[in-house]
Amino acid sequence: MRKSIQAVLGVVLASAIFSCGTSTTEQTFDSSKLSKMSREEVEKVVEAFIMAEDSSTIEIPGGFFELNTQLILDNKKSVRIKGAGMDKTVLSFRNLKSGGEGVKIVGNNITVEDLSIEDAPGDGLKAQHSDGVTFRKVNVTWTNGDKSKNGTYAIYPVQCKNVVIDQCIASHSKDAGIYVGQSENIIVKNSLAFGNVAGIEIENSDNAEVFGNTARDNSGGILVFNLPGLPKSDGKGTKIYDNDILNNNHENFATPIGEGPNGNTVTMIPPGSGIILLAAKEVEIFNNRIHNNKTTGVAIASYQVTGFPAEAPNWSPYTTDVYVHDNAYERKALSMPDLTRELGQLVSVHNAYGPAKTQDIIYDGIWDKAISETIDSNPMRVCIQEAGIENLHFTRFYLMEGEDNIESFKDYQHFQNCKINVATDVSAIAAL
Amino acid sequence: MKKKNWKADAYLILVAVTLLISCGKNEEKIAALPEALLEETATGIFPYKKLSTYGFFAGELKTLTPKDEVTFYKPASSLFTDYALKSRFVFIPDGEQAQIMESKIEFPIGSILIKNFYYPEDFRKPDGNRRIIETRLLIREDDGWQAYPYLWNEEQTEALLKVVGAETEIRFIDYSGKDQVVNYIVPNKNQCKSCHNQSETMAPIGVKPQHLNNELDYGTKKENQLAYWSGKKILAGFEGADAHPAMIDYEDQSQAIPARAMAYLDINCAHCHSAEGPASTSGLFLTYDQTDPLKLGINKTPVAAGKGAGSFKFDIVPGKPDESILTHRMNSTEVGVAMPELGRTTVHQEGVELIREWILSLPQ
Repeated sequence: MRKSIQAVLGVVLASAIFSCGTSTTEQTFDSSKLSKMSREEVEKVVEAFIMAEDSSTIEIPGGFFELNTQLILDNKKSVRIKGAGMDKTVLSFRNLKSGGEGVKIVGNNITVEDLSIEDAPGDGLKAQHSDGVTFRKVNVTWTNGDKSKNGTYAIYPVQCKNVVIDQCIASHSKDAGIYVGQSENIIVKNSLAFGNVAGIEIENSDNAEVFGNTARDNSGGILVFNLPGLPKSDGKGTKIYDNDILNNNHENFATPIGEGPNGNTVTMIPPGSGIILLAAKEVEIFNNRIHNNKTTGVAIASYQVTGFPAEAPNWSPYTTDVYVHDNAYERKALSMPDLTRELGQLVSVHNAYGPAKTQDIIYDGIWDKAISETIDSNPMRVCIQEAGIENLHFTRFYLMEGEDNIESFKDYQHFQNCKINVATDVSAIAAL
Repeated sequence: MKKKNWKADAYLILVAVTLLISCGKNEEKIAALPEALLEETATGIFPYKKLSTYGFFAGELKTLTPKDEVTFYKPASSLFTDYALKSRFVFIPDGEQAQIMESKIEFPIGSILIKNFYYPEDFRKPDGNRRIIETRLLIREDDGWQAYPYLWNEEQTEALLKVVGAETEIRFIDYSGKDQVVNYIVPNKNQCKSCHNQSETMAPIGVKPQHLNNELDYGTKKENQLAYWSGKKILAGFEGADAHPAMIDYEDQSQAIPARAMAYLDINCAHCHSAEGPASTSGLFLTYDQTDPLKLGINKTPVAAGKGAGSFKFDIVPGKPDESILTHRMNSTEVGVAMPELGRTTVHQEGVELIREWILSLPQ
């Protein structure tokens, strides 16, 4: 115990000297240069959403639209909502005084493309209970200097089927930039998420492929979570490949800086996390470039690490059936793990390579004792096959006997000689 | 050269004035609604542009005096909408009947629910001068319910269909004699469904047996509302008050706190927070008959609450209302934090107090 306090103090001191939290308010383009649309032109857009007919296109011309009411498309089929380009058509919800999101979509076969959404007080672009949702070249962001005022999710399909997110940009959200929740059949590709707390998150969802994206400068790059107590209880089947997961060292602003985490799981993410799995099931992570994430490249964790009640019907807190292979890792020489969140402190203090060493892969090592007495048989089926793994920083923790008895190991061998078949199939929506 | 400058200046001033005018609040626009729309005949093809075209009311429109075929009703509890008072009516086509189907009432095509939102000048004299803000119609069309909001003019002579929503400032004197100002937001047509939503189908909220299975003062007599409807031959399936569920009025102080709290949560939250509502994503279900602690939010972490969670971990911490996200969000007027998301720009102090008391009473 004393040793660990000393270690913490040492690390705190060192980190106070070297590793300051980073923050960015970078914008993809300057929307203030666009011409402001008149009240009539704005109302026309509101009306177009309300009066939309099936199989129609809502064209929104270039310009800066300041809305004071939500844009809601309700229960329509085959509607295309099209702007003049993400740097030309901007829907600003800065003046919205009531309503949970800026744009809300309910319907089947709905496409939103070529526009930007700014400064929604809640979520930017939400789709719910929809079958067939395509978001293409949509940019959702917040322009507040004070990021604690930003909204929750930028791009937010939830309880949907057949979701394609393609060439989108999501930035500066207080939770996840691209968040797909309680959905099935999902593609997130060729998109950019930066400056968010979480870049891209797949939560309680089935059959998802996340590829060709860049997740940079978030607190956490790409997340696969299963949270308890939701109507869609446990999701499974996610592939994460060919992504650039870089410099996800942004301070965690999901709660005001200096305040600790609240009940939102995202508030616990330690800055410097590349990929985080939490109570995830059947995940394959391959061919990604995982560079310069100061805490860890990949974190494999069970829900117990949150400290929240970990029981719910039809849901398991364990992360199981994980296959991590053929990724490229880079650690910056002078980087140091986060100390603002418990998970960051765990890595800083207890990793197997010495205080304040950035990790490439961490595994919380929490397993279900009903399956096996020891972890040596790899009961949660976590498989890691990385070339040159002996040169990577891999830490397995032992956390199951309380904070005073934390241990750590470099024993990647236990997780090496296996392979997990993660089955996903998104071919039916690949052409959308 | 000089002259040209003067012209440019004048032009700039003109632009500035135009901008100023066009930046004015919608309320100015409401007052200026053209009377030219006034020629409208009742074709039977809804919606009409004018509220008066429906012919619900006898005499001066603003008195809201129902004609015989229009029936006054009042649910046991009422959704809080910035202290606005509401008067509600139902119209059922001649010769048709609504039908009680277990926990629902099915309405025949052509039925119309009429809800008027108004503020008395002085809440201590609720029957004195008042300003009607909007009248919302839910019309049962061939393919389901449709919502149509009508905005009243300043003169209170007419209300016109306004699908894109509006914003208007309301001043009144509250029950304690204090001056109040509310920035009232009229929802746009599709926002109506943010609340009136059962599995993505537009649905009424107040006209369910449990909300109407109670006595109402009809002026000439007091009678159970469902019995009154049955007597008027506009409702079938009523088998006596005891045969149907009945909710209490959360304002009824003679009732127990838990029952009042559940009645409050049901009418204010459960339209979204139920398995069939838009907030099913949260797993927080607040119907009056909910008994599962996790679904009620007890020691339940939020999912997508964002800044709504404040500095708190759980929706409800038994015994600790000041550490519960539920009361935190009820107590806020900040968009993104405030719950419900629509219809409220002020805090419902009495509601917060009730829920606080209830959480205090929960066993730790």
